[in-house]
Amino acid sequence: MIAVLAAGLTLMVGAVLALALPGNRVRAWAAIATQAVATALILAAVIPIVMGGAPISAQWSWPFPFEVVRVRVDALSAFFLAWSLPMTLLGSVYALGYLRPYFEAGRNGGPHFALLNVTSLAFVMVYTLENALVFLLGWEIAAVAAWLLVIWDYKNQKVRFAGFNYLVSTHVGMFFLVAAFMVMHSQTGSFDFGAFSRFLHQPGALRNVTFVLLVTSFGLKSAFFPFHTWLPRAHSAAPAHVSSLMSGVIHKAGLFALLRFTLLMGAPEEWMGWYLIGFSALSAILGVLYTSSQRDLKRLLGYSSTENVGIAGLGFGVGVLGLCWHQPVLVLLGFTGGILHLLNHALFKCLLFYAAGAVYLATHTVDIERLGGLVRRMPRTAAFFLIGGLAISGLPPLNGFVSEFLIYLGLLNGAVPTGRARVLLVCVAALLAFIGAVSALSMTRAFGITFLGQPRDSQVHPKSDAPAPLFITMFLHAAGVVLIGLWPPAGLWFVRSAVGLFMNLCTPVPGGLPDLSSVLMPVAGASLVLIAVVGALLLLARRTQGSVATQTTWGCGYSAANTRMQYSGTSFSSQFAAIFEAVLPQLRSEDLPVGYFPPDGRLATHYVDAVERRMFQLLGDGESLVTQAVARIPDQPRLAFAAGLVALAVIVWLIVLANGGVA
Amino acid sequence: MIAHAAALLVVPIILVGVVNRTKSCWAGRKGVPLLQAFYDIVRLARKRPVYSSVATVFVKAAPSVVLGTAVVSGLLVPLLGRRTPLSFPFDFVFFAYTWGLGRIFLMLGALDTGSSFEGMGASREATYSALVEPAFFLAAGTLAAASGKSSFAQLLRFRPDDPATAVVWCGCLVALFVLLQVESARIPVDDPSTHLELTMIHEVMVLDHSGPDLAVIQYASAIKMTVCAGLLAALLNPLDAAAGPALFAAANLGLILGAGIVIGTVESLIARLKLRSIPEYIFLAISAAFVALLASTLRRGGLG
Repeated sequence: MIAVLAAGLTLMVGAVLALALPGNRVRAWAAIATQAVATALILAAVIPIVMGGAPISAQWSWPFPFEVVRVRVDALSAFFLAWSLPMTLLGSVYALGYLRPYFEAGRNGGPHFALLNVTSLAFVMVYTLENALVFLLGWEIAAVAAWLLVIWDYKNQKVRFAGFNYLVSTHVGMFFLVAAFMVMHSQTGSFDFGAFSRFLHQPGALRNVTFVLLVTSFGLKSAFFPFHTWLPRAHSAAPAHVSSLMSGVIHKAGLFALLRFTLLMGAPEEWMGWYLIGFSALSAILGVLYTSSQRDLKRLLGYSSTENVGIAGLGFGVGVLGLCWHQPVLVLLGFTGGILHLLNHALFKCLLFYAAGAVYLATHTVDIERLGGLVRRMPRTAAFFLIGGLAISGLPPLNGFVSEFLIYLGLLNGAVPTGRARVLLVCVAALLAFIGAVSALSMTRAFGITFLGQPRDSQVHPKSDAPAPLFITMFLHAAGVVLIGLWPPAGLWFVRSAVGLFMNLCTPVPGGLPDLSSVLMPVAGASLVLIAVVGALLLLARRTQGSVATQTTWGCGYSAANTRMQYSGTSFSSQFAAIFEAVLPQLRSEDLPVGYFPPDGRLATHYVDAVERRMFQLLGDGESLVTQAVARIPDQPRLAFAAGLVALAVIVWLIVLANGGVA
Repeated sequence: MIAHAAALLVVPIILVGVVNRTKSCWAGRKGVPLLQAFYDIVRLARKRPVYSSVATVFVKAAPSVVLGTAVVSGLLVPLLGRRTPLSFPFDFVFFAYTWGLGRIFLMLGALDTGSSFEGMGASREATYSALVEPAFFLAAGTLAAASGKSSFAQLLRFRPDDPATAVVWCGCLVALFVLLQVESARIPVDDPSTHLELTMIHEVMVLDHSGPDLAVIQYASAIKMTVCAGLLAALLNPLDAAAGPALFAAANLGLILGAGIVIGTVESLIARLKLRSIPEYIFLAISAAFVALLASTLRRGGLG
């Protein structure tokens, strides 16, 4: 416990130092050094718990309104702390390289590094405090710190707008959380999570309402659909390390809270599991559809966060259903898959954002339609982006496959009791397969258009490859991605005790549970066979490809092709987007050349977020839409008749209700 | 194991020959020798490759990855009947994702040359393969639900014993057959012999591959077709467990070649679909697998 407190204090001292010291390098190093110390302290405290040790806890009695503040590091907190802090530290190292051009221009980086420290502090608070008021404080600190980090480039109006959008959205989520806490406080008279837990153990309408409020709030925090609209903006506006920390680490707090309250709830009801699965499936499918047509690399990655929290949520949903059906196998597979996917997503998503940041640093753009051929100038960044892209598409032999495989195992498991549930879960598995394939499409497109082919815009002059701080950060993340992919027990070891908490909620079965390591080892073995075969073939090919002739790319007879004639990102996805036009509407603005001697023509297309547009359209013009609809009623006898019937039915229903129902 | 590997490497050549011979029979031609695919591969392998000046390492790596993934996926499928060299619970998930890996590298190899034609092919490949993926998982998930088993070799031993399971079986067969046509680029989805770049999918992605690389890619796509046909054959094989392994394997190989005749017949009698109708054709596979899935619960005493 001392270590956790000391870590919190060190982080605060670091934040103050970063603000007070002179010179950007000193400030940055002060922040990084204190974060490193805090990370070491936290790891020293939590690694024993991750390995299965007893949780540590302490409590203070404070005056009104806090009453009792309990600090508790159990396996779930330990798991989240064990990677959140190190990854924030790596993000700060990355910032050192990424912000250098700004520092050279004389910008003061102190507040930025102080905020990174404060973010780490918020993790320590949110993941350990078991009192609703202080928890909210940590939650708010994380939100405001993330907002301030996003608007680093605050002189740009678009960035300010994106930041404001984020600030509003995250507080809308906060309202739901406060509402849920108010319900629980009114029922228990306490802010302590232990008291909440006793309330949440009793089934009833109030518990259901609380559950929906909580899921909505945590969904907003983790950018579940349809609460994702702030996310692509914020991610494309923020500096790369901030986008990556937000997407990979900060927003995992929402899923942490979801898991925490699932634990507090003890015995969930079946509809809650289905609710989670439905919500997550919708998130995953729409998130991935949006990734397929973005031209802004970071926006694309932002949408892919919505997809991946959805995939993790599917795992949680399976786990919750397992709890209801008393099927420990499903609990094990669902929660292991979901929690491992959180970690995996943090690894490969940060890697991808860091690679996108390296591209931005070298070219000053992340618009894939202006890039191309970067693999020649930035081979290391390209390799890292490819590793991240393959992992995020869930392909073997990388880590994304391991967690998705576990989730498939849960979805297709024979332990599902009823036929109807089986049908639904197999359909969800098919959906997950579709999501994986579309993710592969998006990543092929993002990598292929950005890094392969020829440069599309002559005004983009890529400078050198990623500098050392960027390289180190990306290398470490990529190492994690490959490690968990090739040696799945490493990942399982990390999540085992956190999953154990959920296993404690269900009654053990007599036959015992499958050991997941032994389930995953054949998969890892098959991955190794794959690597061996492909590697052997590559070596063989290297021999035969020795003496080569070079020619221009075959243009099917056309010999004057130029770089602007390459396939663009938009054309790559247009066929796919046309199939899903309802959610991927394309906006065209064109001024096509006509006549024999036409002036210059112009054509611009871009894809917009249909949900966001419709939502704001509905919010903005909702009342006029209703008025228009109502105004049409008297014109048409049919509609008037129908409306009259509906009104009559409602009136009768109300009268019956008022009289205490039908006797 | 060795027999499996031998079958995996030899049958593709013959299968391509059978498909082409069937097509020439329907067209009233004498047709090329059965082993023409082998001669083609040898001829290409002797040539010196030519690379685009734009291309980097991906064009060179793509053929190896595509062949490697095709071979490894072949190790998971019971080509000779009951046993497979690699088998573990839910290996069909690994199978699908291994194909995904090969496909990504094929597409990256295509994008590497900066050719707009190859970009077009990659775009189509990505789109259709994304659509066909749920069909495969629905079919495999249905077989898993209906048989209560989880590895490929066990799933494909599922046989109908009443009307409801017959629907399950037929639905899965239809879905897997459409999967074969999409994945190995056969008519009515794609025409492997056309030379009009604007309408192609697979062929257009390999325009800049030449010599040994082209040979490897053609071989890999023949292997993929064999693997798909192997899925169908294992699901169709009428012999039961009492039959000897050699007889069983022979029946399986015969069914694989029979699938080749069906493919060739379809190619001869049906025209290629318009590109925009291909999603609808794939939707046929998804619906067939979905019907099978619904039927699989009927046997368990209704939905519920």
